[in-house]
Amino acid sequence: MNFENNLSVKLKGVGDGFWVTLNPLAKEAKLKKDISQLFERLKHLAINAKVVIDIGDGVGYDELISNIGLFLKEKFDVGFVSQSPRKKSKPLKRIRQRDLSKEWAHHRSDVLMIRGRVRSGQKITTKKHIVIIGDINPGAEIYVGGDIIVMGKLMGQVYAGYPNNDKAIIIAIDFKPTQVQIGSFIARELNKNSSEIRAKFACVKKSIVVIQDYLKANPFKDIPWPEVI
Amino acid sequence: MEGRIIVVTSGKGGVGKTTATASIGAALAMEGNRVAVIDMDIGLRNLDVVLGLENRIVFNIVDVVNKKCKIRQAAIKDRRIENLFLIPASQSDNKDILSTSGIKRTAKTLKKEFDYIIMDSPAGIEKGFENSVVAADEAIVICTPDVSSIRDADRVIGLLYARSITPKIVVNRIIPKMVAKGDMLNHQDIMEILSVELIGLVPMDEQVVISTNIGLPLVMQNDSKAGQAFKRIARRLNGEIDLPIEIPISKTGIWNKISQKFGLTK
Repeated sequence: MNFENNLSVKLKGVGDGFWVTLNPLAKEAKLKKDISQLFERLKHLAINAKVVIDIGDGVGYDELISNIGLFLKEKFDVGFVSQSPRKKSKPLKRIRQRDLSKEWAHHRSDVLMIRGRVRSGQKITTKKHIVIIGDINPGAEIYVGGDIIVMGKLMGQVYAGYPNNDKAIIIAIDFKPTQVQIGSFIARELNKNSSEIRAKFACVKKSIVVIQDYLKANPFKDIPWPEVI
Repeated sequence: MEGRIIVVTSGKGGVGKTTATASIGAALAMEGNRVAVIDMDIGLRNLDVVLGLENRIVFNIVDVVNKKCKIRQAAIKDRRIENLFLIPASQSDNKDILSTSGIKRTAKTLKKEFDYIIMDSPAGIEKGFENSVVAADEAIVICTPDVSSIRDADRVIGLLYARSITPKIVVNRIIPKMVAKGDMLNHQDIMEILSVELIGLVPMDEQVVISTNIGLPLVMQNDSKAGQAFKRIARRLNGEIDLPIEIPISKTGIWNKISQKFGLTK
C-alpha cells in the first residue's frame, strides 16, 4: 500500500459507500485526525453512508477498527461500518474441482520429446522436462532443467534438475546409467552390472539420490488427480 | 561403373582397422575386383607392413593429393594377389597436410580406376578421421567386444550419420570361450547398443600376429579363422548380402578336449 501525502488514510468511493484504507501501523490519534480531514470534505455525503474499513493484510487490529468505526459513527453520522472481507484460502472442494476443470487444457507443459537413439558423444541440453523414446547409449549426456523419462534403456550420463532443482526425477524402463545427478546431488553406487530389466526411478530424499523400483515404489500413487508439471 | 569408396574406421585405436583393411581389400581383389587400399594414417603408416610391401614405397598418398605424382605411380601392385594395389601413407608428414578439396579430387580419379577403394582411417575423430570420411561412400566400423571400444564406435557411428553415411559393423577379436562363459559381451549385446547393420563377426586369431609380422595377407592363409571371416565380409560387401553371418563358437566337445590335451588341435 502506498500512503502518500503523509496521510495514513485513503478514501475511495465504492458503490453506495466509501472504502477507507488505513495504515494499521500508524497511531490511532493520527488516523482519527487524517480521517476527520478527509470526511470533513465529504460534508453531508458521509451521513448514513456505508463505510468499509480496510487494513490490508494486517491481522489483529479488530480493536482499532471498532474504535475507528465508533468514531466515524459519532462524528460524521455514517450509517454502517464494516471490515473488508478477508481473502479466504482456497477451499479443498475448489481444489478438487481442478480435475473436472481439465487443468491440462489451459496449462502448457514444458516437455521436450525426442524419438531415437542418443549415441556416445551426443549431448542434449534443455531447460524443460525431457521424454526420450529410445535408448541412451553409454557416453551420451542429457542435461535438463526438469525431469527425465526414458522409454528405453538408459546407459549414459543423466543430469535432471540442472543446475539446482532437487525435486526433479529420473525414470527409465531399463535403468543402467553411467552416472546420475539430480539438482546438486550425485548418485553413489549405481549397480549397473545387474542384468535384469527393471523400470526404476531416481529422486532426492534426505540429500541422497535414491533409486527405487518404479512399479514397487509407485511414487505418484498418492496424487489423487492428474497434475500438470 | 564407378568404384565404391569404403572407409574402415573405429574411433578407438588397436581394434584391428589396418588388419581389416588389408584383409578385406585382399579378399575383394581375390574375388576379381580391382582394389586399392589406401593408408590414411599420415605420419603413422602401417598398412604397408601388414601387406608386406614396405620396401617398395616410392610415392605416397600425400604426393598424389598434392599432385606430385600420378595415382599409377603411387599405387604399389601386390605381386601375390592380382588387382590389389596399395597407396601408402606418408611417414614424415602431419595429418593436416591433406586438403579436403584435394582428397575429393583424388577420390574422383580413384573411383574411375578401381572397383573398390578401401581407406584405412587413423584412430581418433580429429583431422585424420575427417580426411578419411570426406570422400567415402560407405563405412565399416570395427569394434571389439569391450565397453571402451563400443563407446568409441558409437561416437563414430554418430559422426558418420551426421555425414549421411550409414555404417556397417564388424565385431573383431571375439573369444568364443569367454563369450560362452559370460565374461565377454556377445555380439547381440553390442548390436543392441550400436543398432546398425552387422556385416561380420571375426574371432580372435593368433594367425593375425604371424601374418602381420611376415607381411602375408590373412586371407591367403586358409587355416586362419579370422581370414575366413574377413573373406565372408568381403563377399557380403561384394553383393552376396544373403551370406549368413557365422557366429564364432568354441569347440567344447569331449574329443576336442582330449585332442587339445595331446596337442593335436589348438
